[in-house]
Amino acid sequence: MSGVDAARIETAFSLSFHILFAVFGVGMPWLLLYTEGKWLRSLKNGAGDRTWYALTRKWARVTAVLFAIGAVSGTVLSFEFGLLWPTFMATYGGAIGLLFTLEAFAFFLEAIFMGLYLYGWKRLSPRAHWLTLWPIAISGTLSTLFIVFANAWMNDPVGIGESKGKITADPWAVFSSSVGWSEVTHMFVAAMMCTGGAVAAVYAWGMLRGRRDRYHKLGLGVGLWTVLGLTPVQMFLGDWSARVVGATQPLKLAAMEGVYTTGSNVPLTILGYYDQSTHKIIGGIPIPDGLSLMMGFKTSTVIEGMDTATVADTPNSAVIHLAFDSMVGCGVLVFAVAGLAAATWFLRRRKGLTPRIPHTRFWLWSAIATGPASVIAMLGGWEVTEGGRQPWIVYRLMSVTDAATKSGGLGWSVVATIVIYVGLAAALLLILRKLATGAPPGLDAGAGPDIPSQAPPAAEEALA
Amino acid sequence: MTAVNLMLVIIVLSLLAYALLAGADFGGGGWDMLAGFGRDRSSAEDQRGLISASLGPVWEANHVWLIFVIVCTFSGFPSAFGDIATSLELPLALALVGIVLRGAAYVYRAYGEGASLPDRWWSRIFACASVLTPFMLGVSGGALATGKLRPGSSPLAPFQAPFTILAGLLAVVVTAFLAAVYLCYDASLHPDTQHLVDVFRRKAIYAAVASGAVVLVMLPFFYRDAPVVAARFTDRSLPLAAVSALCGFGSLLVLWKKKYVLARATAAIAVIGVLGGWAAAQYPDLLVGVYTAQAAAAAPSSLDTMLVAMCGGMLVVVPSFLYLLKVFTAPVIEEH
Ligand code: HDD
Ligand code: HEM
Ligand code: HEM
Repeated sequence: MSGVDAARIETAFSLSFHILFAVFGVGMPWLLLYTEGKWLRSLKNGAGDRTWYALTRKWARVTAVLFAIGAVSGTVLSFEFGLLWPTFMATYGGAIGLLFTLEAFAFFLEAIFMGLYLYGWKRLSPRAHWLTLWPIAISGTLSTLFIVFANAWMNDPVGIGESKGKITADPWAVFSSSVGWSEVTHMFVAAMMCTGGAVAAVYAWGMLRGRRDRYHKLGLGVGLWTVLGLTPVQMFLGDWSARVVGATQPLKLAAMEGVYTTGSNVPLTILGYYDQSTHKIIGGIPIPDGLSLMMGFKTSTVIEGMDTATVADTPNSAVIHLAFDSMVGCGVLVFAVAGLAAATWFLRRRKGLTPRIPHTRFWLWSAIATGPASVIAMLGGWEVTEGGRQPWIVYRLMSVTDAATKSGGLGWSVVATIVIYVGLAAALLLILRKLATGAPPGLDAGAGPDIPSQAPPAAEEALA
Repeated sequence: MTAVNLMLVIIVLSLLAYALLAGADFGGGGWDMLAGFGRDRSSAEDQRGLISASLGPVWEANHVWLIFVIVCTFSGFPSAFGDIATSLELPLALALVGIVLRGAAYVYRAYGEGASLPDRWWSRIFACASVLTPFMLGVSGGALATGKLRPGSSPLAPFQAPFTILAGLLAVVVTAFLAAVYLCYDASLHPDTQHLVDVFRRKAIYAAVASGAVVLVMLPFFYRDAPVVAARFTDRSLPLAAVSALCGFGSLLVLWKKKYVLARATAAIAVIGVLGGWAAAQYPDLLVGVYTAQAAAAAPSSLDTMLVAMCGGMLVVVPSFLYLLKVFTAPVIEEH
C-alpha cells in the first residue's frame, strides 16, 4: 500500500470514528443541562422529581464513556497529523496553528469540568453541580467551532500571507470566511440532531419492548423534540452550505450533482450512479432545470461542470453524489417525520387528546429512525466535504499526494487502527446495551402519562 | 525573550505538567498490575480501588497536557513536527495504542459492569497500556537527544541505542515512583484506606531506589549515545541534576519520616530536575543535527497570535484546573 492510500484510509477511518463520539460530547451536555435543570427546579418545591434525576444520572454515565472514547480517539488524530501528513503540517501548520491552540483550550475546559461534573455529585451542591455543565457545553460547542474552522480553511484557504518564507493566515480573515460559518453552524446542528436522534431511538426502542413508564416517555420526549425541532433549521443551513460551496468550490458542487457539461438549465438529479467514463448519471431521477433554479433562482443560471478541469483534478463524483444524496435523503426523511409530528400535535391539541404524539408503533419506529438517519446524514456530509475537495488537501494549493507521508510501512498501522477501533466499538456496544436497562428499580414504573412520581424522596436521599 | 523561546518555555512547562500529573496516572496503572504480587497481595483489591478512585475525576484533564504539547509543537514548530513524527513513527504509534487502550479500559471497567469483558481483563489491559505509554514516550524523548534520527531513517532506529531503551525504562520507574508517593498521601486521607499507606510507602521507596539505579546505569550510555546533548548537560544542567539527586535522596528520607505532603514536593522536584535538565541540554535543537527551534519555527506573526491566545487561554484554564484538583484532593471512592 502506498503512503497516500494508507494515509487516506487511516485518516478517513479515524476521523469518522472520532466524530461518532465527538457529536455526543457536543450534544449531551446541552441535553443534560435541560434534564438536570428540570430536576433542580423540582427540588425547590421541597422534593425532587426522581424521574428527571434518574434520567440525568443514566445519561451522565453514558456521556462519561462516550466522552472518554472521544478524547482518546481525538488524541490519535492530533498525532496523525504529523504521522500521516508531514508535508501538510510543515507548510501550513503555523497558519492553522491558532485554531488548534484555541481548540486545545476548549478541550482543557471540557475535560476539567467533565471531571467535576461526573465525580462531583456529592462534593458540589446541586446548583453548583448543574452550573459545571455550562462550561462543558460551551467549550464542547467552541471545539466544534475551532476544529471546523480549521477544516473550512482547508476548503477555502483565505487570508494567506508570507513572512520570512513561512506561510501565515490572517486570523480575522479566517474567522470571517463564509465557508467557515456555513460549515460550523451546519455541523453544530448536525451534532445536536445526532444526539437527539440517538436518545430518541434508545427510549423508543425501550417502549416498543413494553417499558412504557414515565421515565421512558420523558427520555423519548427530550430526544425527539431536539432532533425534530432542529431539522427545519438544518435544511435551511444545508441550503446555505450548498450556495457557499457553489460560490467557492464549483467542482465540489458539480461532483455533488454529477454535472459534467458546463452550461445553463442544469437538472437536479435524485439518486443514480455517476459513470466516470461516459460522464452521465445512470438511473437517476432528473428534475429539469432544478440545480440552475436552486442556485440562481432562474433556469438560465450557468453551473460550472467537471469539464472545466482534467479528470485528475476532479473529485470522484460517483462517491460524492451518493454521499450527498444519502445526506439529503436522510435529512428529508427526518424532516417529513417532523412535519407529520407537528401536524399531529396541532390536530390532537385541538381535540384535547394527550399525549400529543401518540405512542403507537408507527411513531415509535419513526422515532427510532431519526437516530441512524441523522448519523448517516452526518457521515455522508463529511464525505461530501472532504471527498469533494479532492485531489486537494488545501484547496488549489496543495494536493493530497504531496501532503502525505512517504513512509512505506503504514499498511500495518491501518490494519492495527481498524482492529483496535472495531474491538473497542464492539465492547462499547455491549456496555451501552447493559446500561440501557430501563428505569432504576423502585422508580414508579407504573405511573401514568404525566403523573409526577409519588412519594418523592428527600433531597439528600436523591443525591446519594 | 524571543517569541520562539517563549514558545519553548510553554512547551517544556506543559511537558512537566504532563509528567507530574498524567505521569502519576500511568504509574498508578503499573501498580495496578503489580498489586497481585508479593507480600501485599492480600490487599490487592483495595489497592486497585484506591488507584482507580484517584484517577477518576482528573485523568482526562491531566491527559490534555499531552495534547497541548503536541498542538503547541505542530503549531509553533511546523517544519520539525512532520519529521519528528515520522522518524519516531514506531514508538509514537505504540504510545498511541497505549493511550487509547488505557483510557478505554479504564472507563469500560469503571462503567461497564462486566458487560463486554470481565473487569479482570480490562484491568490487565489498563495496566499493560499504562506501562507501555510512558516507556514509548521515554524512548521517543531519548531518541530525540541521540542526534541519530533522520527523516526516512528506519522505524526501528529509535530503539537501536541502549540509551533510548534505558530512557524508556526510566520513564516507567519514575512514573511508578510519583504514583506511589501521591498514593501514600491519598491513602492517609480516609480511614478505609489507612492500611494502604504502608503498602504504597514501601512501593515508593522501591521505586525511588530503582529510579536512582536506572539513572546510574544510563549515564555512561548517555555520554556515548547522545554526545551533543550530554556535553551540554554537563555544561548547563548540572545544578538541575544536583537538585534532582538531592530531592531524590530527600524523598527517601521524607518517606521514611512519613511526611507525605512533603514527599509529594520532593518527588515532583526530583522529576522536574531530570526533565528540565534534559530540556535545557536539548536547547536550541529540536531534532539534534537537523532542526533548531529557530529554523523550525512558524512565521513570527503566527507565533505572536498563538502566544496571545495562550495567555488568554491559561487565564481561564489554570484557575479551573486548580479548582478541579482542590475539589478532588481526597480520592472519590464509590461516588460517581
Ligand atoms: C444531521 C446531519 C445533516 C443533515 C440532515 C444535512 N446535512 Fe449537510 N452536512 C452535514 C450534516 C447534515 C455535516 C456532516 O455536518 C457536514 C459536513 C461538513 C459540514 O460542515 O457539515 C455537511 C456538509 C454539507 C455540504 C458541504 C459543505 C462544504 O463542503 O462546505 C452541503 C452542500 C450540505 N451539507 C448540504 C445539505 C443539504 C442541502 C441538506 C438538506 C437537505 C443537508 N446538508 C442535510
Ligand atoms: C481534524 C479533526 C479533529 C481533531 C484533530 C480532533 C482532536 C481531538 C482531541 C485531541 C480530542 C481530545 C480532547 C480531550 O481530551 O478533551 C478531541 C475531543 C473532542 N473532539 Fe475532536 N478532533 C477533530 C474533529 C472534531 C470534530 C469535527 C468535532 C465536533 C464536531 C470534534 C469535537 C470534539 C469534542 C466535543 C471532543 C471532546 C471529547 C468528547 O466530547 O467526546 N472533534 N478531539
Ligand atoms: C482540520 C481538520 C481536518 C484535516 C486536516 C483533514 C484532513 C483530511 C485529509 C488529508 C483527508 C484525505 C483526503 C482524501 O484523500 O480523501 C481527509 C479525508 C476525510 N476527512 Fe478530513 N480533515 C479534517 C477535518 C475533518 C473532520 C472534522 C472530519 C469529520 C469527521 C473529516 C472527515 C473526513 C473524511 C470522512 C474523509 C474521507 C474522505 C475521502 O477519503 O474521500 N475531516 N481529511
